[in-house]
Amino acid sequence: MPEPLLAILKLCALALLYLFFLRVLRAVWAEVGGARVAVAPAGRPQGRERRPLARRERPSSHLTVVEPAQHRGRSFDLSDEVTVGRAAGCQVTLDDDYASQLHARIFRRDGALYVEDLGSTNGTYLNTRKVSAPMALKRGDRLKIGGTVMELTG
Amino acid sequence: MIPVVQRLRRNTELGLILLGAVVTAGLYTLASLGTTANLPVNIGPFLGVVLALLAGAHVATRRLAPASDGVLLPLAGLLNGLGYVWIARLDPDLAALQAVWTAVGITAYVVTLVLVPKARDLDRYRYTFMLVGIALLLLPLVPGIGKTVNGARIWLQLGPLSFQPGEFAKIVLAVFFASYLVEKRELLGMAGNRLGPVMLPELRHFGPVLLAWGASLLVMISERDLGSSLLFFALFVVMLWVATERLSYLLVGGLLFAGGALAAATAFDHVRQRVDIWLDPWAAATDQGFQLVQATFALAWGGIAGTGPGLGNPDRIPLVETDFIFAAIGEELGLLGSAAVLVTFLLLVGTGLRIAIAAQAPFNKLLAAGLTAILGIQAFIIIGGVIRVVPLTGITLPFVSYGGSSLVANYVLLALLIRISADNAESELEAR
Repeated sequence: MPEPLLAILKLCALALLYLFFLRVLRAVWAEVGGARVAVAPAGRPQGRERRPLARRERPSSHLTVVEPAQHRGRSFDLSDEVTVGRAAGCQVTLDDDYASQLHARIFRRDGALYVEDLGSTNGTYLNTRKVSAPMALKRGDRLKIGGTVMELTG
Repeated sequence: MIPVVQRLRRNTELGLILLGAVVTAGLYTLASLGTTANLPVNIGPFLGVVLALLAGAHVATRRLAPASDGVLLPLAGLLNGLGYVWIARLDPDLAALQAVWTAVGITAYVVTLVLVPKARDLDRYRYTFMLVGIALLLLPLVPGIGKTVNGARIWLQLGPLSFQPGEFAKIVLAVFFASYLVEKRELLGMAGNRLGPVMLPELRHFGPVLLAWGASLLVMISERDLGSSLLFFALFVVMLWVATERLSYLLVGGLLFAGGALAAATAFDHVRQRVDIWLDPWAAATDQGFQLVQATFALAWGGIAGTGPGLGNPDRIPLVETDFIFAAIGEELGLLGSAAVLVTFLLLVGTGLRIAIAAQAPFNKLLAAGLTAILGIQAFIIIGGVIRVVPLTGITLPFVSYGGSSLVANYVLLALLIRISADNAESELEAR
């Protein structure tokens, strides 16, 4: 076999190798970047796929821990609906012996945030007022759950 | 939602597997043309076997983890194929064994997927895994069944079978670390002392780090296995860092390692020798440095596109099928080919970290990060050793090097990553 021919075949093999990488990258790109566009509409046609978009347009709110000192500064993203408690399944999990497993719920209705107690043992307090029915939250409000105090930040 | 993703991912996987098999078969043919100037007689059966093995793994994935990531298996298959082409080109006898080990490895992949229907099941057997991991690490020291090969006592000989238990220990210990750290991370992450701008955890929380450090030193001294010792320690420190998000563990770990390495280099001849030939292999170009010097020649001779498969002389390098396979690929496919190996590892590690980021459960997240770290660190240690970025420590290049234990263990590792990514897709579905 003449050497130049072998060299050309070798370059072809290398080209195929890099074609493989291009296809891997395309697959990765479809998952990371384009997944929402390519996949979501096909699955759930009605209304639901607008959620991520709508969420992005709103300024996001956070709950930032003020007390106890060892957790100060820890911050939780508030999406449309989060549960707060000691259970691992809660979106806002608190390492706090005075919090119930499933303590409270924070949800958004008509653009405003509300907090609702979920029958916790020690109660939920919004700026020292006990939460017995859903109460509206605004920026700067302090929420006391068990021994943890959190502030709503923009 | 899921069926769409599922179909997309599995079809991606199938397409990539086919392309990877074509690349492997093409290189195999070229290597045969290069060495014997003839088309390989067995190219038909060869392509058939490669496709059958990978298709087997693919079908099993379709059945057992249909929503899992679609690029992991093809990437591993490509590395396996590349490695096989060069092993076959260098030593046909070893190639036959490697083919058998590949089949065993893929079987192990399928068995792992069957045995672990959910990654979190592993969390329950934490201390069993710890004991098994330590036992596997220390087994080669047991007189009678332990065996010393090339100065390292890392082999186990049971009748006609011999294997390196350390290859499995790394996976088992990664599972244990993940399980242990998930429970302790709050405690380990708390700041006790402040040192300038760095918040240091309380001193007693460095206990586990010291323990891991001690164990890795023990392995290094008693088994003379520098590569594994480095791998285990790096794995533990990286997982500790990921679990606690505290950079101080990484810094303290690095310092401890540097101290240990320095002490070992002054106290032990075999370690000092490694450092000396790393700094200047030419001083001992005909004896201890011979391997590194030949590898350097091979890489230099390869140039940009290499001599062509089968047209170089990588067989001059001792142990080229295991530790130095990267140099053989570098000689015959040049910079483009060796960069391709690096790109494959980069994509593997990137995919692994993507799975870790997407994982919901802390255990899954940490385990995925740890398993990925094993692949990345191991590739770095050996490739870095071959190209003289770090001192050479004998360890296999995952999926590429010849070696049964290594290949089978890495397929098990791959199956666990696949399982975690399938769990991710399922919990995403539940969240909707």
